[in-house]
Amino acid sequence: MNLKISALEYIDQVKNGQISAEEFVSATIDRIKKIDGKLHAFLQINPDAVEQARKVDKKIKLGEKVGACFGMPISIKDNICIKNSKTTCASKMLENFIAPYDATVISKLKQQDAIFVGKVNMDEFAMGLTTEFSAYGPSKNPWNTDYVPGGSSGGSAVSVSAFECVASLGSDTGGSVRNPASFCSTVGYKPTYGLISRYGLISYANSIEQIGPMTRTVKDTAFLLNILCGLDTNDNTTIDNGNQDYLSEIDSGIEGKKIGIIQEMIGEGIDSQVLSATKDAISKLEGLGAICDNVSIDMVKYSVASYYTITATEAGSNLARYDNIRYGYEFPVEGYEFNSYISKVRSKFGPEVIRRMILGGFVPSAGHAGKYFLKALKVKSKLTKEVNQAFKKYDFLIAPTVPVLPFKIGEKINDPVALFLVDINTVMSNLSGTPSISIPYAISNGLPIGMQLLAKHRDDKSLLQAARALETTVQLPEVPI
Amino acid sequence: MTKIGLEIHCQLTKLESKLFCSCKANYREHEINSNICPVCMGLPGTLPRINQKAIEKATLIAMALNCSTPDKIAFFRKNYFYPDLPKNFQITQLNIYGDTSVGGSGMIMVGDKQIRITRIQLEEDPGRLIYEGSSSKNQTTLVDYNRAGVALVEIVTEPDFENPKQVREFLNILSDLLENLNVADPSLEGAMRADANVSIEGGNKVEIKNIGSFHDLEKAVHFEITRQESLHSRDIPIAQETRHWDDKRKITISSRSKEEELDYRYFLEGDIPWITIGKEIHQRLKLEMPESISSKKERYVSSYNIPEQVAMVLSSDKFYSDLFDKSHTKNNAKEVANIITTDLMGLVDTREKRERSKLLPSHLNDLADLIQSGKLTRTSAKNALYEIVKSGKELSQIISEMDLGNVSDKNQLLTIIKQVISEEPQAVEQAKSNPQTVNFLVGKIMQKTKGKADPKLTLVLLKKELG
Amino acid sequence: MVTEDEIEQVAKLMKIEVYDHKEFVEKVHVMLNYFEILDSAGVEDEEITMRDVSLSSLREDKHIPFEDNLIEKLNNYKGSYIRAPKMV
Repeated sequence: MNLKISALEYIDQVKNGQISAEEFVSATIDRIKKIDGKLHAFLQINPDAVEQARKVDKKIKLGEKVGACFGMPISIKDNICIKNSKTTCASKMLENFIAPYDATVISKLKQQDAIFVGKVNMDEFAMGLTTEFSAYGPSKNPWNTDYVPGGSSGGSAVSVSAFECVASLGSDTGGSVRNPASFCSTVGYKPTYGLISRYGLISYANSIEQIGPMTRTVKDTAFLLNILCGLDTNDNTTIDNGNQDYLSEIDSGIEGKKIGIIQEMIGEGIDSQVLSATKDAISKLEGLGAICDNVSIDMVKYSVASYYTITATEAGSNLARYDNIRYGYEFPVEGYEFNSYISKVRSKFGPEVIRRMILGGFVPSAGHAGKYFLKALKVKSKLTKEVNQAFKKYDFLIAPTVPVLPFKIGEKINDPVALFLVDINTVMSNLSGTPSISIPYAISNGLPIGMQLLAKHRDDKSLLQAARALETTVQLPEVPI
Repeated sequence: MTKIGLEIHCQLTKLESKLFCSCKANYREHEINSNICPVCMGLPGTLPRINQKAIEKATLIAMALNCSTPDKIAFFRKNYFYPDLPKNFQITQLNIYGDTSVGGSGMIMVGDKQIRITRIQLEEDPGRLIYEGSSSKNQTTLVDYNRAGVALVEIVTEPDFENPKQVREFLNILSDLLENLNVADPSLEGAMRADANVSIEGGNKVEIKNIGSFHDLEKAVHFEITRQESLHSRDIPIAQETRHWDDKRKITISSRSKEEELDYRYFLEGDIPWITIGKEIHQRLKLEMPESISSKKERYVSSYNIPEQVAMVLSSDKFYSDLFDKSHTKNNAKEVANIITTDLMGLVDTREKRERSKLLPSHLNDLADLIQSGKLTRTSAKNALYEIVKSGKELSQIISEMDLGNVSDKNQLLTIIKQVISEEPQAVEQAKSNPQTVNFLVGKIMQKTKGKADPKLTLVLLKKELG
Repeated sequence: MVTEDEIEQVAKLMKIEVYDHKEFVEKVHVMLNYFEILDSAGVEDEEITMRDVSLSSLREDKHIPFEDNLIEKLNNYKGSYIRAPKMV
């Protein structure tokens, strides 16, 4: 059984009877069991996956209506709720939390006969960019298991990259889909804010985050977006995309399109290999008929500080509900007073979550909001204006997804500011609500480099066309696992 | 000078569902924790889904209290930990980025006194706490979240009240207004709650929290003024503090001083975009707005010549004014008003009685017609009304069952009149010399007919007999 | 400069017990120091904006009960209550 196929190839092969869903899902589960001990992408494997695949095969055999996914095995980041299954956010705080409802994206995928092979690892509550902050231990980069896979959707990226599923859903608050996609050499998509419902995504920083697909190809991402997008009455922040078909016209090319190269994202601190890959990508794009030019977005300098201030504030509030009273882990209330009980039970949060919550109590507090939080919001406003301004002149913007190569596990974990700077190229799309995509671009000394393309608000369809065009120029070796 | 300011919390009890989810707004008949869902329990991953009717009803209140109404409203998070708050923050409104709460400054007249409204905001109600266990060691807190997430409107006034009487008058006006707007039923338990701030001349401001009803609010204010005046008269300084209303002992008690001032870290609720209300919607709401109490009153006086006092009583209670508006005709309006304000009131003075009442507007219309045409005396009408409220039977059926119809047969009446004349010679003489005293004889006739003699006809016949 | 006391206060506000005190304070310091860069962004005159939606797009006022008996799936006490520690 060849598991190294794209989602669309899988669907074709099942449709024309070359393979059955059961065979493929079963082989996928076998592979997970065989190799995931080394990678630790999965926190949980769905014990019913093969049985569910069999049901899909039966529907096909009987000629019944089958959903567009045809039993495709997908992994789900463990901050997205699947009814009656554990959703831990890779935190000890939610070790026993069983979601009593489906996230909107889960309902939509179920309707289309996708099969969830398991829940995958992440930084605790999505706070991190290496997956080292998972309370259940780090995931490893399949290209070199001494290296981090990126994060926070590290488990998603690893599972797609190592052929433990054909696609995955991650979430992107400041690069959490694109960063691991770049580090593991998969496609990672951060949609326009509101394009995909967040209902059932456990909030970290709700005003800027989005669920995003992680796939092997740009076309697979377009295929999943067709299923996942649209207004949702359960999420007041969703937008109407007019039932756009992201897959049709995906091969339109980028001839004549204007592309801006963001100067602030290829300057100081950039790895030379990453820089040369970027230059190479630019010349490839020019070769396809695009017109490339330098562009400056001044507020990028302040974007990471703004990002961390806003996310800490929202996280401090979003995570307040974890007081162990209505759900959580076993810890009796008798003999405690309310405040001391809560402080006690909340020490189950990991150190990074605690740090960010302390920041989140600090920066919006009455005495400090003016200095930190309000300024951060204003930087966000100004940055959004600058981004919109740039898109008046350019159809797309380009920058490497991450300015550095994947680094070793443990290398930066104790240096918060060094970690901040890894985010510098990704947070802009979140703060401005605009779409962006990371595609596999190069391998340098056995480590992947991803290239990021950005488009204006709601221009997701043309962004996918541009990414597809660039993707056709890339030929990469297979993951060595 | 004594200064009193109020923060009134009013549940929008006329809604079907909660503010941010589809659970039932009226949680009162539910078993403990059976009116809950993942959204109002703040479960991980859930998002608020705002109820558009809640915004409309809150806006109606703002308009009725003459408040400014912004084109865009916004919601904020008020962050603090409490077991009745499933998310450990409350979604509420405030005006830190311009006026974005449903109502800005407004005012209402209470008699001749103008009471300024600071703002009106829409927010979610927390759950309910029940304290369990006797010894302090074993004590725990039980929580029922059926109420959590119910739409609550907070009306904040300036400290414009000078005495408890003004507070009471304001609360009466406000209750009637909320009921008339069809946004809330103030008589429902727990639907109206309040905080107050009170200061007397030369003293610090004291906040009183946790007042569970309008009735207690006036008492609490009264108690607090007396307490402060007593301290003042003994030269004891009045501390600036928060006190709680103890509704069993009917006193205010100092809250144990908190270790630190709470910092609510207010910031915008990102899960709810700003909501544009716009001129068209304001216009529509204005058109849909029920007739105000004062306009009803004027209409009753000018169109039907109903006495001022009766019109006031009738218009200020929505139950009565709805009944009146549905039952009267141009000709019997005054009589209908009369029946409602004299006879009906005692029969339907509580919400339970109102719910049980079988009375229909058509009953009142029939009653008034029969009284006006002399076919039913007021006394009989009153008896019939009692029966109608109880059974809901047709008026005609009740009249025949209870034998309430007037004696208006000329011959029958004449026999009785003659009998009375022969029995009361002295009174007859008096009536002949002084017609004013004829009522005594009428009374005797009524006695003999058990109040059923047609009064007009009786008088005509009696006068004829007396010559 | 943020003091240790301030961080302690905030930890209390956020209901978190801080154990490894010194290391913790240091890291938070470093992070806050980095945020100082916001002072030089020159954004004082910017307005804070948010997307808006029309009133009519919001949820209709209808009662739809949740499909399951949710309390059974939560930490319940005597079947239907949620139990919290005592309040002082």
